Amino acid sequence: MTLRTWARLAVVVLAAVLVQVGLLNQIVIGGAHPDAFLMLAISAGLVAGPQRGAILGFTLGLVADVFVQTPYGLSSLCYVLVAFAVGLAASTVAARPTLGFQAAAALLGGIGGTLLFAGLATLINQPSVPRHQLAVVAAVVAVTCVLLVNPVCRLLEWTLAVAPGAHRDAGVFAGGSAR
Amino acid sequence: MATSRRNTSQRLTLVILLLASITVITVAYKGEARQVIVSVRNGAGDAVAPVQRGIAAVLHPVGNLFAGMAGYGGALGENQRLQLEVGQLRHQLVEAGQAEQQLDQLRSEQDLPFVDGIPEVLGEVISSPSSNFDLTIEIDCGTSNGVGVGMPVVSGAGLVGSVISAGQHTAIVQVLTDPRSEVGVRFGTGDVAVAVGQGGGSPLQLQDVSETSLASRGAAVVTSGLDLAAYPAGIPVGTVSSVRHTGGSLTSQVLVTPFVNLLVLQYVAVLQWFPPA
Repeated sequence: MTLRTWARLAVVVLAAVLVQVGLLNQIVIGGAHPDAFLMLAISAGLVAGPQRGAILGFTLGLVADVFVQTPYGLSSLCYVLVAFAVGLAASTVAARPTLGFQAAAALLGGIGGTLLFAGLATLINQPSVPRHQLAVVAAVVAVTCVLLVNPVCRLLEWTLAVAPGAHRDAGVFAGGSAR
Repeated sequence: MATSRRNTSQRLTLVILLLASITVITVAYKGEARQVIVSVRNGAGDAVAPVQRGIAAVLHPVGNLFAGMAGYGGALGENQRLQLEVGQLRHQLVEAGQAEQQLDQLRSEQDLPFVDGIPEVLGEVISSPSSNFDLTIEIDCGTSNGVGVGMPVVSGAGLVGSVISAGQHTAIVQVLTDPRSEVGVRFGTGDVAVAVGQGGGSPLQLQDVSETSLASRGAAVVTSGLDLAAYPAGIPVGTVSSVRHTGGSLTSQVLVTPFVNLLVLQYVAVLQWFPPA
């Protein structure tokens, strides 16, 4: 990636922090709120492919964990897996993923990411969230991911200078645009 | 060939990132690294606080809309102040009743700490938790205002939780519905138990309530302040919403609905009180 791309990425991550802590945290539905960082990790998988998506997911997780009280690094672990899985699915599509594909990836990524985080937290002996609450959280996160995945993907395409439909994982981090 | 190499590279990257994540979790779990992360988190909280404060002022009504308080955002501040008065009256009622007699008895017998007269620091809630698995709120006062880790936090309606992290200008409060939260409480005819959080929107569960307990639906539950309790005695916590006696068990399942509506909190008071060492 060029310096310019890194600068854009830094701006997008900073904006995500502000949107999450300032806006999305206030939109509480049934005790749950949307998750901008998981949304970005899913979009990173869609736009940049499994390998680069996972690297972005790792980075996003490290930033996201600064603003929560859950164990540091847990979000990274979760986002790496989510971005990689979504990227792997997206890499099977030759052209740019359709809106339907993006929505399906966001839905499954949102639900899967939420359940994965809960499972990983339980694995490291963190108190669990009741099942009914977990369902609400997964639903709220997944629905908001579906609603916003397309604009977030477009934002990441611009940020990473990836041409729409270009093969993800090709050149995104290798010195410039894949165009 | 190229595909195979790419697949190997992808897998290798995944393994490296997973190992890196696990290493970060392990290193950050305790020791000096944990302290560094706490400092970074506090610093980050302080850094974004002005933005949060500004956005919160504009968006509290939006959040309230989603919390089921549509259209009443402007009146919420007034509502909170009224809740403060109602809470004080409720507290007086609790203290005036039978519970008060027992509380006085306990106080006189065990010299328990007393809620009244504890200095308070008033704060505004500037953010809900950023994670759905982390039941905390962020308030706009910190160590520079005299707020410290472990201090109880109350609103007009009753107990909110306790401070778990304090930056210079902001503090993180773990609310009592967090599954990690445990509050020593007293209820009914002097029974004591531990109220454990079960997640947002869920009632608290009282642990180790004897089957012979006379807990009844609607009974007030207040902090016990016993022994090395994390909270002073007499802070209203909630009301008993369900009592279930399970056959064959020596304990009853008692659920408590908190007085405080944690979804629409706007103002809180931090009690400058520390648990006895």
